Amino acid sequence: MMLTARQLSFGYEEKPVFHHIDLCVEPGKITVLTGPSGAGKTTLLRCLALLEHPRAGAIHVDDDVFSFPRKPGARPAPPWPKLTAVFQQLFLWPHLTLRENILLPARCRRVRDAQAMLEKLAGSFDMGAFMDRYPNEASLGQRQRAALARALILKPRYLLLDEITSALDVEQISRILGHLKSLRDSGTGLFIVTHLLGFARDAADRVLFLDQGAIIESGGADILRAPKSARLKKFLSMVSAAA
Amino acid sequence: MSVLDILVNYHAAFWQGLGVTLKLCGIIWLCGLAGGVALGISAARYRKNWGRLTQGAAFALSAIPTLVVLFWLHYPAQAMFNVVIDPFYTTAFALSLVNLFAVGETVRQAVRDFPRQYIDAGLVYGLGAHALILKIQMPILFRQLLPGLLVLQVNMLHATLFASLISVEEIFRVAQRVNSMVYRPVEIYTALAFFFLLVCLPVNLLAAWLKKRYTRDVSER
Repeated sequence: MMLTARQLSFGYEEKPVFHHIDLCVEPGKITVLTGPSGAGKTTLLRCLALLEHPRAGAIHVDDDVFSFPRKPGARPAPPWPKLTAVFQQLFLWPHLTLRENILLPARCRRVRDAQAMLEKLAGSFDMGAFMDRYPNEASLGQRQRAALARALILKPRYLLLDEITSALDVEQISRILGHLKSLRDSGTGLFIVTHLLGFARDAADRVLFLDQGAIIESGGADILRAPKSARLKKFLSMVSAAA
Repeated sequence: MSVLDILVNYHAAFWQGLGVTLKLCGIIWLCGLAGGVALGISAARYRKNWGRLTQGAAFALSAIPTLVVLFWLHYPAQAMFNVVIDPFYTTAFALSLVNLFAVGETVRQAVRDFPRQYIDAGLVYGLGAHALILKIQMPILFRQLLPGLLVLQVNMLHATLFASLISVEEIFRVAQRVNSMVYRPVEIYTALAFFFLLVCLPVNLLAAWLKKRYTRDVSER
């Protein structure tokens, strides 16, 4: 019972984005995907979220199988929000306040105790002061926290996160990463696209390094301490230099 | 003779003219808004047939002056088909057609350009098709379209003046007839301006209120 991708390939017309990707996201584990900009990380995450249709391969979500290319007429219902995502651009609905953004999916899905969960999340993420602001009235960091809360209130089994801490300060990052660890411990499978290599070293159960549309290296968090491939070594040295 | 005297003396004619203008407007607004919204949604959904038809017709009708469309339907078209149609209905049809395709094209573009990411967010958070339409798409589109559509409807009200040129007894024609009897152009056209203000002001106020209530700058910091 896990989220897996088998031989996944994706491209736009003539341009391939990634090819023959195999990966798995286990419940109760943190899988980190890292790599340089333009490597195809976000597209891979969108494919895993079943928002893009890969050219080939299959995605298994527990017992549900989504094969690509799709057979004509086949339209299996994706298992949302058991599998859900928080996007880098957040995509908060602009006509709703942050509170309404978080509560709308919960109400539509008839989540029990949605209000109580909202209060709990607001406390965990320190959101009380800006919950009634519209997205454009909140800072990027505030919006990131609200977008994460919008996904968490649905109690997903698999949560895909794309650079969700990019605009947060150190204190907020620490809070959110702490929350992600507790989510992992409660059985949620987390797939995180991030450049926070410190977090990956500290918390990831599995790390994937994607470059030029292929998984160059994968393994436990120790690959970030002792990389084998020249490309990952170079990437890590550049990240260290930039830091 | 003051404006007030003219209004008092000819109030019956003015009311009748105003009634015809408002009746015309009602038909044009109803056909344009109800039909145009349906047409726009169909055009966005079925791009190859309805989409091209709407785009083409809207382009043609925006290029041809409304007065030319009206005259063409009133004179050559009726002669060609050997029919005589009441000018009121010819005007209602011509202006409804213009409004229908203008609204349809505006709605088509808005639906076509609706940011896909808001739908994606709704999908991954498990919103069903109805919730996506009712809670996400419609409110965002409504806010986006509202100011433009209201301005268009006020323009359509102004376009009803063309009906006077094919003998429809609407308010402008009534004003011209009263002027031909008393020759008080300043007073009469001031009264006419007053009538239009009376009709347009509530529409403009409604537009401003709706805009203030439902639309706001959503650009992010």
